[in-house]
Amino acid sequence: MATKTLSAEYVKGLWDENPVFRQLLGLCPTLAVTNAVINGIAMGLATTFVLLLSSLVVSLIKKVIPNQVRIASYIVIIACFVTVADLFLQAFFYPISKALGPYVPLIVVNCVILGRQEAFSSKNSVGRSMIDALGMSTGFVLALLLLSSVREILGAGTFLGIQVLGSWFKPWIIMLLPAGAFIAFGLLLGLALLIESKTQKRRA
Amino acid sequence: MSLSSKMILSLTCVGLISSGFLAGVGIWTKDKIAFNVQQEIEQAIKTVVPGTAVSEKLYEERAFAVYAGKTEDGSLVGYAVYASGSGFQDTITMMFGTDIEVKKLTRLTILKQTETPGLGANIEKEDLFLKFWEDRDIRTILTLHKPAASSPNELTPTEINTITGATISSESVLKIVNLSLEKLREKIKHGGLLGGREKDGN
Repeated sequence: MATKTLSAEYVKGLWDENPVFRQLLGLCPTLAVTNAVINGIAMGLATTFVLLLSSLVVSLIKKVIPNQVRIASYIVIIACFVTVADLFLQAFFYPISKALGPYVPLIVVNCVILGRQEAFSSKNSVGRSMIDALGMSTGFVLALLLLSSVREILGAGTFLGIQVLGSWFKPWIIMLLPAGAFIAFGLLLGLALLIESKTQKRRA
Repeated sequence: MSLSSKMILSLTCVGLISSGFLAGVGIWTKDKIAFNVQQEIEQAIKTVVPGTAVSEKLYEERAFAVYAGKTEDGSLVGYAVYASGSGFQDTITMMFGTDIEVKKLTRLTILKQTETPGLGANIEKEDLFLKFWEDRDIRTILTLHKPAASSPNELTPTEINTITGATISSESVLKIVNLSLEKLREKIKHGGLLGGREKDGN
């Protein structure tokens, strides 16, 4: 892993190891909050904050934490930053905090975060862990943005609350419901795999 | 140092540092969060009791509170009732206003809901649901108008509109309002409110 250049460490999170479309991690918040673009972005940014800070702390203290209690320690650290993010949203972005409801506290159990600590930050230097966290977060935000755009445009005819489809368009309400999340995600996942297999063929 | 004491020590340190940090952030954001909640309630009171300049909390219990909407010089304009109860998916929290005699419901606003997007969630939409709540006659119990009306003129003064495909959500709001009105009248009758009408000289 350490043989990768720093830029490759960042870029891998965008596509090759994209947390949502390639690793299929963190799907609970992905499916739950993407009924509106603003919620998708807010969830993505809150997760970015938690992932960056927990990666920083975990990579800093990796040598002093005994192996047997590492998961417990990581969870406490993650939960701490999630609570900070939750309080911060409540204090400064109250409407968004209300819209995200219980999903902000649930970032604690987002497996993208614990997964990165276990697979990367606990084994790599601080700098490399931060770049990895930044790459993974960017990939996560982009995936949420894509999924929420598809759902909001088809489900409500709007993008960020602004009407983009004319009055002729009858909103597909199912896209805003949980079933629509699975349909949209399944189609996008299929598309991602199709693109991947095409590019692999071209490379070969 | 033995492994177990090392484990205890590191977990304790992680816990202590995290909780200390959280306590700091909690203190920093506490006032701001309380202010946000307070402001949301004040804004809602001004919406549901038109003409309100200042508000005063008269009564509070779980899932029910009464505020007095007053003008600058302190005369009562109406009551704002904060109420919550179960909806189709989760609790719906709302605020509605009445005149001082509790004969007319002035307006309703939804503070918090997690009903089905596109269906039940329309209870917070002005043109689909809220505008049908303006100036309702509450001397008798409010009832639901089915099927959905397209304009408030189609309703009798004691009726409120149903949202197509979300009868349960519409009914839940209606039920919470009817129950809260009953509670409000009881409180006024038994003098359970501080201030309020007594000051008004009635």
